[in-house]
Amino acid sequence: MSIRRETPGGHQALEGALAERGLVVRVDPRAGLAVLIADAATMTKLGDAEVRRAALALAREHGFTHVAIEMRDDAGPGAPLPRR
Amino acid sequence: MTSEAGIAGDREQRLEAWLRERGRVAVGYSGGVDSAYLTVVATRALGAGNVLAIIGRSASYPAEQWATARDVARQFGVDVLELDTDELNDPRYAANPSNRCYFCKTELWSKLVPVANARGFSHVLDGTNHDDLADYRPGAQAAREHTVHSPLAELGFTKGEIRARSRALGLPTWAQPSSPCLSSRLPYGTMVTPERLGMVERAEAALRTLGIAGDLRVRYHEDIARVELGAPSLAQWLVPEKYEQLRDAVRCAGFARVALDLRGFRSGSLNVLHGVTAA
Repeated sequence: MSIRRETPGGHQALEGALAERGLVVRVDPRAGLAVLIADAATMTKLGDAEVRRAALALAREHGFTHVAIEMRDDAGPGAPLPRR
Repeated sequence: MTSEAGIAGDREQRLEAWLRERGRVAVGYSGGVDSAYLTVVATRALGAGNVLAIIGRSASYPAEQWATARDVARQFGVDVLELDTDELNDPRYAANPSNRCYFCKTELWSKLVPVANARGFSHVLDGTNHDDLADYRPGAQAAREHTVHSPLAELGFTKGEIRARSRALGLPTWAQPSSPCLSSRLPYGTMVTPERLGMVERAEAALRTLGIAGDLRVRYHEDIARVELGAPSLAQWLVPEKYEQLRDAVRCAGFARVALDLRGFRSGSLNVLHGVTAA
C-alpha cells in the first residue's frame, strides 16, 4: 500500500492559490485531506459548482486528494478567520 | 421489454438454473442490495426449506441494515440464522490495515461455513457481483479460502441489473444505497473501536433524520467528521441555516468538528486518500 502525503508547505501555497480566486481560507492539512476554514462569504461562493470544481483542481495541484469545508460556529458574515 | 431488461431477465433464469443444480444453499446475508436479491431468487427457485440466510452480526454491521435484512426476510419468507461475529477482537483487523476486509471476512466465513455445513447446506454463497471484481476487495480472498461461491459475479450480473431485477421482484432494496461496513469510514491505520464505529453510525443516522436520502458517508478523521453527500445536494448544505443543522446533528454523535466534502460522495473514498486506488 502507498501512503500519499501533501507537498510540504503545500497547504500554505494552496491558501495563496485559493485567495487568488477570491476564496479566503485557512487550510488545516490532514495527510491528503485539506480542511478549509472559511467565512460565510467564502462558503456561499463554494455553493457554486464551478467554484467548487476550481477549488478541487487547485487542491489536487497542491497534493491533496480530498477537500472539505469546515462547518464553523463562528462563520457568520464578517467573522475573522481563526489564527493559525 | 427493453434489451437491457431482457438480458437481466435471462441472467436471472441462468441463476435459477445454477441454484437448482446445487439444491440447497446458505447465503451470507446482510440485507444489502446484492445479498437480498440472491437470497430471494434462491428462495423462489429452491423453496424456503432449501435456503438459509445467515447474518453475521458485529459492531461494524449497521443496525439500520440489520433491520432491513430482517424486514426483507419476513416479507419474502426467508429462513434466517443470526451469528455473532467479533472481528474487532482480532488485532490484525482492529489495526485497520488496507487489507482489513480480509480479516473480517475470514472471521465471518470461518464461523458461518461450518454452521451451514452442519445444517446440511454444503454450498455457501455470497452476494459479490460482477462490478465488484474490478474494485479493491481483499475480502474476496477469504471467500475463496472458505470455498464460498459468488454466482452473481460468476454469471456476470452488474449492480444495475441486480437493482433492475430487484425492482421487478418487488424487493424494497432495489433503490437502497450501497452500504459497506462501518469500518470503511475510518482511514487505514486508524484503530477500529466500537466507540468510533458508534460515532459514525449515530452521525449518519442523525443526518438521515434531516431528510438526507441516497448516498451518504461520515468519514472519521479523529476530531473531524468529514461528511460526503451526493453531489447534487451539496450546494443546499452550504447555506448558513442548513449547514448549522448538519453540523449540530453530527456533533451530537460526538465529533468536535464537522466538515463537508466538496467533491461529495465517493465510493472507496478512503482508498483514494491512501493511494490504494486512483483518484
